[in-house]
Amino acid sequence: MIELTPDKALRRSPLYRRHLQLNAQFEQLGEALVVGAYSDTGMEPRLAISLGLADLSCLPRTGFKGPGAPDWAATQGVEIPSAPNTALAQADGSMVAKLSHQELLIVSGMQGDSGLVDNLNQQIPGTGVYSLPRADSHSWLAVTGLLAAEMFSKICAIDLRTHKFAQGQVAQTSIAKINGIIVRQDLGTTPCFHIFSDIASTEFLWDCLLDAMEEHQGVAIGVAAIRSLDATE
Amino acid sequence: MQRLPSPYGLLIDRERQIKFSFENKSYQGFAGDSIASALAANNQWLLSRSFKYHRPRGALTMAGQDANTMVQLPSNPNALADKEPLSPGLEVMGQNYSGSLKTDRGALLGLFSRFLPVGFYYKAFFKPRGMWEKWAPLIRKKAGLGVINQQLEPDYYDKQYKFYDVVVVGAGPSGMQAALTAAVDGCEVLLVDENPILGGSLNYSRLDAKGSMAREVRDLLVHDIEANSNITCMTNATVNAWFADNWLPIICQKRLYKVRARQTILCTGALEQQAVFHNNDLPGVMMSSAAQRLIHLYAIRPGKTAVVVTGNDDGYANALDLADAGVEVAAIVDLRDKPRSSPLVRAAKKRGITIKAGYAVYAAQKRGNHLAGVEIRKILSQGICDSQAEKIRCDTVCMAIGYTPTYQLACQAGGQLSYSDKSAMFTLNNLPDGLQIAGSVDSYWELSNCLEEGARAAIIATNALGFTQTDIPEPTAREKHSPNHSWPIFAHPNGKEFVDYDEDLTIADIVNATRDGYEHIQLVKRYSTCGMGPSQGRHSALAAARLVAAATNRTVAETGVTTARPPFAPEHLGHSAGRSFYPARRSNMHYRHIEAGAQMLQAGAWYRPAFYGQATDRDRCIDNEVNNVRNNVGLVDVSTLGGLEVRGPDAAEFLNRFYTFGFVKQPVGRARYALLTNEAGVIIDDGVACRFSEQHYYVTATTGGVDRVYQTMLKWNAQWRLDVDIANVTAAYCGVNIAGPRARQVLARVCTDIDLGAEAFPYMGVRQGTVAGIPARVIRVGFVGELGYEVHVPQQYGEALWDALMEAGGEENIQPFGIEAQRLLRLEKGHIIIGQDTDAMSHPMEVQMGWAVSHKKPFFVGGRTIAELEMKSPTRRLVGFVVNAKNAPIPLESHLVLDGAQMTGRVTSCNHSPTLGKPIGLAYVQPHCAEPGSQIKIKSSGGVMVTADIVTLPFYDSKTLRQEL
Repeated sequence: MIELTPDKALRRSPLYRRHLQLNAQFEQLGEALVVGAYSDTGMEPRLAISLGLADLSCLPRTGFKGPGAPDWAATQGVEIPSAPNTALAQADGSMVAKLSHQELLIVSGMQGDSGLVDNLNQQIPGTGVYSLPRADSHSWLAVTGLLAAEMFSKICAIDLRTHKFAQGQVAQTSIAKINGIIVRQDLGTTPCFHIFSDIASTEFLWDCLLDAMEEHQGVAIGVAAIRSLDATE
Repeated sequence: MQRLPSPYGLLIDRERQIKFSFENKSYQGFAGDSIASALAANNQWLLSRSFKYHRPRGALTMAGQDANTMVQLPSNPNALADKEPLSPGLEVMGQNYSGSLKTDRGALLGLFSRFLPVGFYYKAFFKPRGMWEKWAPLIRKKAGLGVINQQLEPDYYDKQYKFYDVVVVGAGPSGMQAALTAAVDGCEVLLVDENPILGGSLNYSRLDAKGSMAREVRDLLVHDIEANSNITCMTNATVNAWFADNWLPIICQKRLYKVRARQTILCTGALEQQAVFHNNDLPGVMMSSAAQRLIHLYAIRPGKTAVVVTGNDDGYANALDLADAGVEVAAIVDLRDKPRSSPLVRAAKKRGITIKAGYAVYAAQKRGNHLAGVEIRKILSQGICDSQAEKIRCDTVCMAIGYTPTYQLACQAGGQLSYSDKSAMFTLNNLPDGLQIAGSVDSYWELSNCLEEGARAAIIATNALGFTQTDIPEPTAREKHSPNHSWPIFAHPNGKEFVDYDEDLTIADIVNATRDGYEHIQLVKRYSTCGMGPSQGRHSALAAARLVAAATNRTVAETGVTTARPPFAPEHLGHSAGRSFYPARRSNMHYRHIEAGAQMLQAGAWYRPAFYGQATDRDRCIDNEVNNVRNNVGLVDVSTLGGLEVRGPDAAEFLNRFYTFGFVKQPVGRARYALLTNEAGVIIDDGVACRFSEQHYYVTATTGGVDRVYQTMLKWNAQWRLDVDIANVTAAYCGVNIAGPRARQVLARVCTDIDLGAEAFPYMGVRQGTVAGIPARVIRVGFVGELGYEVHVPQQYGEALWDALMEAGGEENIQPFGIEAQRLLRLEKGHIIIGQDTDAMSHPMEVQMGWAVSHKKPFFVGGRTIAELEMKSPTRRLVGFVVNAKNAPIPLESHLVLDGAQMTGRVTSCNHSPTLGKPIGLAYVQPHCAEPGSQIKIKSSGGVMVTADIVTLPFYDSKTLRQEL
């Protein structure tokens, strides 16, 4: 069995040392390693229903902006959300968030399938379409669970309670004093808030989130738990 | 410990005894007790000493609304003993005394009170000149209350946002009814109360002769509230301010809740006021509501024998409560000539309680530190009593002469306070949209009216929110009888009739303030300090307004009250300071620097390696890093440099307008220095613009300046409307600069798809390819003056890039270098740093950068100003200097350049150059001193004058051959 060591990967999450401290078990995903789980007890999916935090920074994502971006993306088979600050799940499990009339954020599904992202990145964008390096400008964290909104209320001024912040809603806001994009895209029936924020501040945000979660016994979770929840109906 | 039987004692749990100490003596209380109630149960009434005269003080309100109960706790000073819950082992001490709480030597000050008149501080220190120095130490020693324990580990304080359709402040009858009505209509409601349980005055007051109505109504309301899932209750919580758009900071335990309410309903109730008479501050003299709180909430008799001084029927309810609790009510002293025949009055008469109508409590007497009796007199006219006195022995006086609405939050919201001479009461009006008031804060006193008004306020709120479209009921008719007596103030020849307990201010102090010329209530406040103590005028505002009005021949309405600013109640600094966020930015290579022994520094939010090695060996480490770059090869993390993508058909035109240089003809595959000025021609940033295609520039900016550059780009293009897209990709790229004569051979080992040869990839060339298998942008730049390549890769590949280059350079013994070495290397090369070598006035010609300004293009930001400046004689120039004298101190940044005694310039950068072997630097000097060969005088540390020689820049490699190798 090959030992997967994140500090040998070509692409490294800014959090991999934090993951090592938590005895993470890694799995390969493209050029990077992602955390499968932090323990082998199998409890993480259940804990995630209450409150979990996952690092998805090594999962594929990209972005496009410009006056022609939505139309161009639509011609590539992307289903575009109808209004800014909303997100739409795609048929392949990926998700597209419309950040303004001219800007799209496109992220893979929880399996990390890079099909749509790669396909778009490999195209030569049309006139008035500009790619954005979202995979590297923004980290990707996911906060799951029924207590997520309550936890967020300690670090974010947006009302994220599920009856106020609908599935597919997007907030571009401040989280613990750094800019961030919050997208609610539930995993099965479990509330899930995806955070995209300054990648250089990822450790800071991760620590803030874990600190805020402590009151609610929130824990770090791996992608296995995320996928498990995502598979539930 | 003496307690009344159940059901008295609503708050206490008699099954859970708690031991604590006060003044080093052990006591017992119950869970649910406050410190003050537990002490009262042990017959300990003396709690504190007053601020100025060190007079003995005890419970006044039993509601945490006064400064009389301030005590010292191990964790914090000035804790309110009637608010602070009892906890096991709690060590409580008195504060602000000399000797002991019981025998305070400071109380001798009271004997000299006639020599400490209002405005004493201003008068005493005004003259003779220099007196302040003599008084200050004494006053500073006496001033202040408790003591901060600086050894204590701070507690963890936190903050949290909350969102509600309706926030109801105050869970008395009006508040509970408002919450219920709004919740039933579908609103999410937060009901906040500063007390441990819902109910407000229903928990302790007596509404009927029988004495059961309050509890019955309370139980019904609480039952319905608890059954309603739309209502969240927050008790032991204080809404400490009202801010715009119904932003309410609520303090609850160790958390500050930042609540957004779409509608706010204030049911904050009213604050009972004291009667003003001689010695009205003795322990044993308390508000009637305080006595009722002791009885009903804590099962404590306020005393053995009580006198109730009243101007309303509440005093009779109070007397009945006292009598029921086994207290002998010696008399009800009613300020009214003819008390109305209400059920409560009739009940008191029926109980045989002596009623002295038309009388006042004129003075109180003490024994030890407690009340021993009162002197009552017939009232002849407003504030004037008969000379005949009648003495009554008692250990308790309960004052029930009226209320002020708890108006603070409403006034912060813009509400205006008026005074009605008819009701002798303040009233609120002109409230903003989205804010309602109900109950006694709106001068409704009867229970049914309060409930109606609570419901009405909720209907207004729910209609406004669109939950209902109900007809709003007419306001409830105003009640005929006001609980306020118009003048419960009785001056005494010996004074000590306290208007403001916090600051020991008496009737004479307030009146004398007006006689000293301070007639406006705001000036009276500042001159006398009335209302400036911890209770912020809760019990002094009304009496002070009446006294000032009378003394200045105005109405109380004309006199008004002082401004009620936030916070409503004292709050711990921890509530404001707790759980703050200090963002930190790290490059993907951050930990490689740590592992290599870097000393990190913060530049804005970014962490950057200053140098590698022990802090104590700083200079040697930096010199070694410099020498390694000059002679071998080094690697520095430049990830924090700003990165901006400028793309689109008009990208070249945009940069041409934005920066000083020309960019339209910049070839693809080349970089060009980019100097940015503002409209005033002042340099504000710099970087390089790399042209990767006709329509694609990648522009770097300074670490600290990139956000401003980005915003400025967006601002200008909002006007220019060029077809260009601008993106800030600073964090998306990690970057290194591999520099030194052996940089090429190291880079070549891991970069095989770019021809790194000097001709194929010349100085200021840019390429895209891969480095160590990582997609990379490679830029040949020479900030440090050596052959060098900046390699920019996607952020998450940064550490892998660092590892690959360090491994590739193993044979050459490549070494990392930090920001300090980089700054020294660039100084040797004569390159400026924006912000260090420039200031808010620096324009390009001053800093010898006229070469970076294009005169061939029609426009750029700052161009017109620069053209005008070029026509004028310069007033200063930035030049390079060396210090040739051995052993001369090295000038530091900002040291002055002097011409005789006149300051003519300043040093902007200076350091010892390991390459040149002497100090080198940059300085602004007068133009006539700027020629190479001139000398300048620099006033160095300790005033030592250092002679420096002006030299031609750069200091090193004057023909710039090394960076173009």
